[in-house]
Amino acid sequence: MTVRVVVNGRAHELDVPSHALLLDVLRDRLDLKGAKRSCDAQVCGACTVLVDGLAVSACTYLAVEADGRSVQTVEGLASDGGLGPIQQAFLDCGAVQCGFCTSGMLLTTKALLDDSPMAGREDVLHYLRGSLCRCTGYRKILDAIDTAAHARVAPAVDDTPSPFRVVGRSIPRVDGGEKVTGRARYVTDAVLPGMAHAKVLRCPYPHARVRRVDATRARAHPGVLAVLAGADLTWCDPYFGPAFRDRPILALDVARYEGDPVAAVVAVDEATAAEALALIDVDYAGLPAVITLEEALAPGAPLVHTGQPLAGHFADLSTLKPEPGTNVCHRFRYARGDVDRALAGAQVVVEDTFLFPRVQHYAMEPHAALAAWDETGGLAVWASTQNPYSVRVELAKMFDAPLSKIRIVVPHLGGGFGSKTYAKLEPLAAALAHAAGRPVRLAASVTEAFQTVRRCSSRVTVRAGFARDGTLVAVDCRADFDVGAYADIGPRVVQKATYTATGPYRVAHLALDARAVYTNTTPGGAFRGFGVPQLAWALESLMDAAADRLGRDPVDLRRQNLLAHGEEFAPGDTPIDGKLEESLSRASEAIQWTSALAAGRGRGVAAMLKASIAPSVSEAIVRLHADGSVTVLASTVEMGQGARTALAQIAAEVLAVPVARVTVAAPDTAITPYDQTTSSSRSTTMTGRAVMEAAEDVREQLFRVTTTHTGVATRDLRLDDGAVVAGKQRLGYPQVLALRFGMSGGELIGRGIVAPGRTAAPLGGSTPFWEMAVGAAEISVDEETGAIRVERYVSVADVGRAINPRILEGQDEGAVVQGLGHTLLEEMVYGDGHLLNGTLLVYRVPRAEDVPDGLACRFVENADGCGPFGAKGAGEGSLIPVSPAIANALARLAGVRMRELPLTPERVWRALRAR
Amino acid sequence: MLRPFDLHRPGTVEEACDLLARLGEDAAAYAGGTELLLLMKEGLLRPRHLVDVKRLGLDTIGDGDGRVVIGATVTHRAVERARLVHERAPIVASVARHVANVRVRNVGTVGGNLAFADPHSDLATLFVALDATVDLVSPRGRRTLPLDEFVRGPWDTARAPDELLTSVTIPPRPGPTAAAYVKFGLHERPALGIAVVLTFDAHGDARAPDRHARVSDARVAIGCVNPRPARAAGAEVRLRGCALTGLEDVIAEAAARAAEASDPAGDMHGSADYKREMVAVFTRRALRVAAARARSAITGEREALAPHYPHAVIA
Repeated sequence: MTVRVVVNGRAHELDVPSHALLLDVLRDRLDLKGAKRSCDAQVCGACTVLVDGLAVSACTYLAVEADGRSVQTVEGLASDGGLGPIQQAFLDCGAVQCGFCTSGMLLTTKALLDDSPMAGREDVLHYLRGSLCRCTGYRKILDAIDTAAHARVAPAVDDTPSPFRVVGRSIPRVDGGEKVTGRARYVTDAVLPGMAHAKVLRCPYPHARVRRVDATRARAHPGVLAVLAGADLTWCDPYFGPAFRDRPILALDVARYEGDPVAAVVAVDEATAAEALALIDVDYAGLPAVITLEEALAPGAPLVHTGQPLAGHFADLSTLKPEPGTNVCHRFRYARGDVDRALAGAQVVVEDTFLFPRVQHYAMEPHAALAAWDETGGLAVWASTQNPYSVRVELAKMFDAPLSKIRIVVPHLGGGFGSKTYAKLEPLAAALAHAAGRPVRLAASVTEAFQTVRRCSSRVTVRAGFARDGTLVAVDCRADFDVGAYADIGPRVVQKATYTATGPYRVAHLALDARAVYTNTTPGGAFRGFGVPQLAWALESLMDAAADRLGRDPVDLRRQNLLAHGEEFAPGDTPIDGKLEESLSRASEAIQWTSALAAGRGRGVAAMLKASIAPSVSEAIVRLHADGSVTVLASTVEMGQGARTALAQIAAEVLAVPVARVTVAAPDTAITPYDQTTSSSRSTTMTGRAVMEAAEDVREQLFRVTTTHTGVATRDLRLDDGAVVAGKQRLGYPQVLALRFGMSGGELIGRGIVAPGRTAAPLGGSTPFWEMAVGAAEISVDEETGAIRVERYVSVADVGRAINPRILEGQDEGAVVQGLGHTLLEEMVYGDGHLLNGTLLVYRVPRAEDVPDGLACRFVENADGCGPFGAKGAGEGSLIPVSPAIANALARLAGVRMRELPLTPERVWRALRAR
Repeated sequence: MLRPFDLHRPGTVEEACDLLARLGEDAAAYAGGTELLLLMKEGLLRPRHLVDVKRLGLDTIGDGDGRVVIGATVTHRAVERARLVHERAPIVASVARHVANVRVRNVGTVGGNLAFADPHSDLATLFVALDATVDLVSPRGRRTLPLDEFVRGPWDTARAPDELLTSVTIPPRPGPTAAAYVKFGLHERPALGIAVVLTFDAHGDARAPDRHARVSDARVAIGCVNPRPARAAGAEVRLRGCALTGLEDVIAEAAARAAEASDPAGDMHGSADYKREMVAVFTRRALRVAAARARSAITGEREALAPHYPHAVIA
């Protein structure tokens, strides 16, 4: 059908089939990539465009409906080359992180303000009910809407005055402009010549033998270019996985969970590939499944994996080992002192078991990969990954290629939160591109993301013993984590989190015993907090129970037992590098811990401590060009957290140039140097240190050239505003480079390497820094329904130094709200082995209306971190105390101790009734 | 991603009915598409023909002898903003404002919502409480059905495959009326919807009950928890005849009766016993809001702001 439509003021006449969706026509025919596909069910708002001024979900709107109408997309918001007021407000307020929701948020805001220019908070929340953001925690989006509506200036950030020129200042994020204009490119926005599209056939059963895959009819389907099943993967090593290579690209003989990839089709377009999936005949024989920890750990339980899994591709994970003949794929034990004796002698012993649910990351951008082999046998993959170098190792080994032949490129990431660590879709995309002989894009739906990775659920039993004076003398912790059907990084999650099961407290006697357990469910992996939320949920709940028994104030009891700055956490590991007591004091003051409560309110507090990844390696290159501008090459991934901005600020500070003169390249393993992973809150600290070293290397080179040509001693030189200052002489960088190269060309290249190496610490490497935070909540509860409302929440994170306070505040606000998700709302529910809520229609993530009015994220800044300018990792810590702080508040308010998350209204209602 | 289909765009109701009759089970009536396209994308519905019913002149809101007649293809947004609806049945505008989210309201239609009979529809519950009727047209003629009879169960209506839902009619109340709709739930669609409509003896002002008024007619409709929205007759009986000033005394009992009359099934939205208890809780709350609205209509005082309950919407 012919559609005449005006898009962003420009008339188009398009011939489109009646079933074409507006989103696809805008993205694929008109190359307007700003509108994104996320939930695909009109819940999230990422695909919002305006049709005749009204917001619609372009993912569920026929393109033919736009005939005779005017469509506005994010690309049409900027006018005369400048940003519109809404775009500017989003940028100024820090309302943009990963950018995947941004286009929809901007257009929704435009429709709102066109409708009601003086919209108050209630109108805004009403309008935003259908607009999800997984990064920001909404606070800064609400600020931005308010700022745009009332032509205000962006609210100030409560930060410590910075002694630096660039570092410590809340400059707008460097990728903000491209994100508010829809120009930021994500994997599914990329198009290669000859690109084909893939769809995956997934097992409909929780556990089944795959007896035969007959793809004859699918192969014959017009438009189909290739079909792969497990049996076709004879030309490569089909196994991958960071902990163990226990996961084949496609099921070889057994499919181990509902959603396990069994076959895949490459076709000229996605629709054809989807049609062909229905033509693949698979002969399954059902196998008994284990869904819960109880089922998986029962004697004689059916085994998810029967053979010995192959060792993983990463030497530093070689301590991980399965227990043959069981579903236990790793057991971690660590003890110090004599826990049994200490517990026997303790004045008060508290013990309880706490459950943490399976939670979906819901990064708004589902996993995607675009793979292409070249004529030299080289493989390039544009991937939505948090760690391109880990993906590169896996692909190189699977496809028997040198590392140099594998190129992983990471454009913008639409959120990660751990879901995009280690290989996910990349091996399958690469295999399909090989089979089809052309570039192949494999883009998961949100439902498929639910079938790709999740948080490891857990059952944690803690016994904690206290002396009469409140000293925590012993902790005995037994934790079982459900890591799903494939290990992914689950065993490491279990090991590393359990290692810090004692939290930020001094404990002389401890016994920790944790198991990673396979089940026939979506694989569990990394998720913001890396297992620590599960353990802190138990320990911090028990700290309050202990305070009750001891007749102590929960804040005082914690303060008494906190590890001090410089104190040893475990023999051989890094001493505590922050002031936990300062965080605790600030949080309890901000929540007005000791002041009278209004009727119906309760307060609770919780603390956390988390180790970062170790060993931890980052390298960086800084190039100073002939015109004095700077390129930073580093492979940390920008996924919304602001890494590129932080790195630009660090380089700009060292080299005394404006941030606008610094470009941070996107990760590309052919160009940007090695970086271990974008996770574990390590980017600003570790990659940032490498960038700082590399910039300092350039500075030294500038000094050397200047000294050679002026005779002024290096110690008398300094950098200032793009020039080397030698006494009264100022040499601009172009002049220095011209002196060095004898012409206007050439560049100075600086190199930075951060590699602390292995140590005698219990896990084989000392954490480079400790992440620590304290949360305090004030809540009310609707006693008749059990619904909790968080009225106020304060998070105080010890960050050493905030490189960009506004971005950091946004990170922590997002962390708190993500924490509210698993605390109050989120849980992947299985029935008969099938996931019952794999869509956003019935998997509820926090909305703007769920954010406490009184949400405050604050930092302790003592410049005591190992990162640049004293920074240390942040962004995970603030999520971790949320659950216990709220449950502790509920216990103090209503006298019920909750042991299972999420604290849904029904669960709380039952507890209240059982009082 | 949608499978291919033929899109038909008839210009009259007759043509549309002919098409539906001719194409039979292969066809689906299509208006806003907010429900239909969603299920088609998931492959749960696979019609080979869509009959677009947006060009049949069914997109107006009219006044028929004091009744409000809402055309089937009127969007939720248009209902929310229609003056006639605000004047005659303000509760309808208020509920329309809270259907799904702004994008769905901009595109989704009243007729589509009712004809789809999603068990979590706000409108169906409200319209049952308002004694609304729907008009259905087919080559065999026109018929009018009470909403109560039209919705038969989840995704199941009395509409024959060749019938077209053309309008919904809301009759005038027999006296001054106060109403409220409350919904509750965590998910995108409500776990529970309660509509209450209290009509009082007409004394004095025709629109507002006076202070001596008694409830002459009560409607309590429970949505989402049962296979279809249904009135709670026991609750209604308890409320009938009650003085406005004495409503508070009977609200709890009426709500308990509403809960007793519900037979929820446990699902993602909650367990059966929890849902039943929530019927009682939110019927109480809805009745209190309606009673407060009635009182404020008498005294002319500004109505106190309804309390805000987490995960609940009061319309």
